[in-house]
Amino acid sequence: MKKTVRELQKEQTKELLLKTAYEVFSKKGIMNTRVSDIAQAAGVSHGTIFVHFRSLEAMIEEVVALYGQKIAMRTHVLAQSSGSLSDLLHAHLGGIMEFEPFYTRLVIENRLLPPGARDSWISIQSAVSFHFSLVYEREFGHNDRSGILLHMLFNMWMGLVHYYLQNGDLFAPEGNVIGRYQDILVDSYLKLLKGGRAEK
Amino acid sequence: MKLCIACGMPMTKPADYPLGDESKDYCIYCARPDGSMQSYPEKLEGTTDFLIRTQGLDRQAAHAAAIRTLAQLPAWQGIQKTMDTPSGD
Repeated sequence: MKKTVRELQKEQTKELLLKTAYEVFSKKGIMNTRVSDIAQAAGVSHGTIFVHFRSLEAMIEEVVALYGQKIAMRTHVLAQSSGSLSDLLHAHLGGIMEFEPFYTRLVIENRLLPPGARDSWISIQSAVSFHFSLVYEREFGHNDRSGILLHMLFNMWMGLVHYYLQNGDLFAPEGNVIGRYQDILVDSYLKLLKGGRAEK
Repeated sequence: MKLCIACGMPMTKPADYPLGDESKDYCIYCARPDGSMQSYPEKLEGTTDFLIRTQGLDRQAAHAAAIRTLAQLPAWQGIQKTMDTPSGD
């Protein structure tokens, strides 16, 4: 069924609000943002926001779900062509890099966000852990002598990446943590992994 | 590109589909060996186990997260209402 002009305008305004909220969240932080900040940045009235979202909490959930999906999808697309764990870790960081300011906010704030946003966070991590498990098992699975459980290896990697992002002001004040540390993060992690295996 | 109705995974190539059948709306990971789609209890258990195995979540937290994330997917709309019994674990 064809949409009316009014329906199309409503959709466009909602898209504008989601994109604007994403940009403001990336810059100011999610919990630090007020409805008026988004309204001002989007050039709409305060009331317009509540035509599209029942609350700021609902808006946060929708923005995190939408951009969480985009991050997960990007990771998935990049990871599909990963032949080795090294390729996959680079693909993971490549997916994050495109959304780095927003993803960093999620790393720092996700425990404080509404429950729906927390679920989106789990979904983003699942897209990565899915490919991580496939590639790891293909590359090392039959010959894993490290004795380290798969989820511990995954969490060590995530812990490393998230630590750098969380403290990005100290590691890369210009705001490009992944671009600057991508190679050394991947190389160091792989050396640890392979070194640990060799000693056994 | 289709998204699996049962887990949300993007399906981009024949190998993503059960038995390579691209007419299906669910992915290979949501199918049984004969190609039919897993039931809700099977998928719930599989998702919970996946979260524990690959991310190390606590079993109860993984179970709760699996219920909430599956509830967002087209295949399981309304399922929980019909299965709304307290979890045993």
